[in-house]
Amino acid sequence: METQKSQPEIQLAVSTDEPSATSTTPTAHSLSTTTPVHRSLSLSPILTRIHAGYFRITLSLSCQALLCKILLQPNNHNSGITFHVSQFLYSTILNILWSFAFCILVLFSVLYALRCFFRFNLVKKEFLHHVGVNYLFAPWISWLLLLESSPFVSPKHNFFIIFWWVFALPVLILDIKIYGQWFTKGKRILTAVANPTSQLSVIGNLVGSRAAAKMGWREVSVFLFSLGIVHYLVLFVTLYQRLSGGDRIPAMLRPVFFLFFAAPSMASLAWYSISGSFDTGSKMLFFLSLFLFTSLICRPGLFKKAMRKFSIAWWAYSYPITMLALASTRYAQEVNGGIPHAIRLILSALSVLVLFALLVFTALNTKMLLPDDDPILVPSLPILSLRTE
Amino acid sequence: MSTGDSPEVLPSLMKAISSDEVAGFDSIKELDDVNDIFKSIGHLPSSSAIQAIEEVAVEGQNDFSVSQMMHSVSINLPPSPVEAQLLSNKKVLFRDNYGKKLCTDIPDSATTSQGNSAQGRMTRFYSQPMPKGSAFTEAIPCGKSPNQTDLPIRNPKIDRLKDKRFDSFKTWSGKLERQISNLRGNNRESEQDSEGQKPGEFETLPVDRYFDALEGPELETLRASEEILLPEDKQWPFLLRYPISSFGICLGVSGQAIMWRTLASSSSTKFLHVSPYINLVLWCISLALMAIVTIIYSLKVIFYVEAVRREYYHPIRVNFFFAPWITLLFLAIGVPPSVSQNLHTSLWYILMTPIFFLELKIYGQWMSGGQRRLSKVANPSNHLSVVGNFVGALLGASMGLKEGPIFFFAVGLAHYTVLFVTLYQRLPTNETLPKELHPVFFLFVAAPSVASMAWARIQGSFDYGSRIAYFIALFLYFSLAVRVNFFRGFKFSLAWWAYTFPMTGAAIATIRYSDVVTNTLTKSLTIVLCAVSTLIVSTLLVTTIIQAFVLGNLFPNDIAIAISVRRPKSRRWYHRRAGSSDAKDIDQYLKYIDSDGGKDIEASLTTANSNNQEVSSVDLKDVRNNHCHNMPLP
Repeated sequence: METQKSQPEIQLAVSTDEPSATSTTPTAHSLSTTTPVHRSLSLSPILTRIHAGYFRITLSLSCQALLCKILLQPNNHNSGITFHVSQFLYSTILNILWSFAFCILVLFSVLYALRCFFRFNLVKKEFLHHVGVNYLFAPWISWLLLLESSPFVSPKHNFFIIFWWVFALPVLILDIKIYGQWFTKGKRILTAVANPTSQLSVIGNLVGSRAAAKMGWREVSVFLFSLGIVHYLVLFVTLYQRLSGGDRIPAMLRPVFFLFFAAPSMASLAWYSISGSFDTGSKMLFFLSLFLFTSLICRPGLFKKAMRKFSIAWWAYSYPITMLALASTRYAQEVNGGIPHAIRLILSALSVLVLFALLVFTALNTKMLLPDDDPILVPSLPILSLRTE
Repeated sequence: MSTGDSPEVLPSLMKAISSDEVAGFDSIKELDDVNDIFKSIGHLPSSSAIQAIEEVAVEGQNDFSVSQMMHSVSINLPPSPVEAQLLSNKKVLFRDNYGKKLCTDIPDSATTSQGNSAQGRMTRFYSQPMPKGSAFTEAIPCGKSPNQTDLPIRNPKIDRLKDKRFDSFKTWSGKLERQISNLRGNNRESEQDSEGQKPGEFETLPVDRYFDALEGPELETLRASEEILLPEDKQWPFLLRYPISSFGICLGVSGQAIMWRTLASSSSTKFLHVSPYINLVLWCISLALMAIVTIIYSLKVIFYVEAVRREYYHPIRVNFFFAPWITLLFLAIGVPPSVSQNLHTSLWYILMTPIFFLELKIYGQWMSGGQRRLSKVANPSNHLSVVGNFVGALLGASMGLKEGPIFFFAVGLAHYTVLFVTLYQRLPTNETLPKELHPVFFLFVAAPSVASMAWARIQGSFDYGSRIAYFIALFLYFSLAVRVNFFRGFKFSLAWWAYTFPMTGAAIATIRYSDVVTNTLTKSLTIVLCAVSTLIVSTLLVTTIIQAFVLGNLFPNDIAIAISVRRPKSRRWYHRRAGSSDAKDIDQYLKYIDSDGGKDIEASLTTANSNNQEVSSVDLKDVRNNHCHNMPLP
């Protein structure tokens, strides 16, 4: 990453209030907009190219930490779901994983904060992009999940509550903005912008609801849950109808289809936290997500194009599976039997496997981590208006 | 008159004519050309050769060349290919056994062109390309005659079965059939047939083709501008005409069986004193019907798998592939107590597995978009795909299973919501919704009523969820019932049987509801709904019988599966020696063909107009090109 020959500003058709120094001299040390705080010259391209979609990595890691915590909990009284690990091993694994996730999340958060500070116009462009806007939820979701899975902060702790507010409030604000746009704003109404990543906003609400339920705040939790569910209903119908015909998202972003079953899994978990037991509602949501998962797995051709080249979108495979594994864990806990446990085992194994594979791929492909032609950054996708076909 | 008379019952496709007029002519595949070829080569076609030629000739072509038959008088061709096309498409019975009939249909043009028949045959036919791979084609250049040996005498029925034109629809293009008939010892066909056969050249029909080519609430009627691959004027083999919607009969009858069982056993209807024997009788009838329909359809799958494939790709018929399984589920639900008290739970798993896989396929298609996405293909028959979930949930819950029913209920509920919203929206992108009401709309009532019963079983009591669903069903029912005026003027089709089970389902749900909320209103509602359902089924039964035995039209030619893969380009208008005045006449004639009750006047007019322009342009070109040379035989 030290020597970036090509300057990103050329590829992106963005506003050019950056000095052209970056476009001409690869070794430009001083960019007039960046303060001399940055000692490495390579920060600028990173700042330009990183976008909220990179938080998929942190999402996956935090979710995996949560899964780990729940799966390996030895002091959980339900004997059905614990593996027999010693306390020491358990806490070691969890600590390592959690710290790793924490570090990555901090890193990305700092980078993104810098980006907001120094490249605010780009952030604005992300906000206006119909896919990018949904990933603005991703940091908050990651933080909330990390908070939940932290091994040393219990939900009743004040620390937890404070942080919950810190992370849930932006989600609410984004909700108001985006959901309001869905049914009021002319150019950004739902039918025009709906795409599978819109389910991230729903997931954001549901994660917040779950965390609130863990804290014992019932009303807030139900509030967020109902918000999420209602918009999920609308979104589900719209996405299934596929009014737009061909994809509103480029082929490279096909992995986000996995969000289709991430949302109901999260809803199932949230309802479980609210109602206290894995009752019929949660079961139905879990079954729906299981069905959608099977349906997507049986269609490998859908993802063929996206699998040709490594891209950050591949991380979108990981956290939905983890969420489904989480839901299956709760299900197996409720309904003891051979098949539920088998499902839980398979899904958990799959999620761990996928995570490792993605880590390996990412490590091998660091060059590709900040590509030129990332679809979110290229604002060339027009917002299609509803048209009859 | 004809000399080469084939044995009496054979359709005398060709009467041998005096061979002189042969000369060179274009090698379009016509039976008479063959005849002439042989004559020119010097073979005198024996009657057996004629039969062989007739057999070998046409496979998978369209009507045009078939219609170039030799007829009784000295016409061997209709005087102009234009008219041949015209006549072949206009359902004039060429394939009649006796040439006389044909004569009467083309009186003048025939006689006038009599003298010019030789010249007529010399005209260049800018014809459709020769159908590939027929042994006939190969036979001509090789100068071989098809095998003339020992052809047994056949009667028209077998003849129809062996009609080559249907081969492309047969499994492995008819090879299977030949295998079977070879096994049976009728080694009639020569090897040339099999080598000439090409495997079915059908690619997957995109769903757009169905929408373009067909119209009507069940997408069954052919648009005026379209052609089909099989001859329209002839009755196709029975298996080809047997649609999957015939499973609807079983659906309707088994639904009735369940209703009468519920009437007999439910507490709120005890005052009616319904005998449980009715349930037994109906159940046995529906079991028998199911067996018969399954056997016939399996035969169709075995012998005409291509036709089954095309039904699968039809956007409306695909939903009927759920019907057999739903019927089996109904049979299991409605099993009389005297037959079996408790069914084994493994039966449920067995029955739900095909539904599960079908669902994966079809809902996945809805979601992943492309040409079969929901906004494009949504139509009320899609309810059949969704109802299966609820029926399965009902059966499973009756058997005492817990998780499986909830699974299918959840999946069904989610997809039903999507479907319901889509259909209610009546999106402009949606082409299949009929503008006027059609009995298919009663399928709207099916899902909520069955869902309410299933939820009641799952929960153990008819609680709020069930009541909400039931009231929705009731509302939709009344909403459609008061519009009964609009259900008029539709052609009867077998699929109507499938539309009766929602009414039966609503009646059963009402019985269950009246078990919980017992008062006069609910009881009377029960009686009314059950009576309506029984009445409709009986009426439908009578209509079906009339259609079957009196009108003989219970299984008409199944046009919907025979649409061509590509939109027919401008119909190549063949050159007409006599000038283009006939072309205009034909255009006029075409304008009024097949208008289908005026719904498609626009289409026919515009196509005719476009064809008109094409006619003139092609005509001129032909005129110029024609007199240049005679093309010798290839």
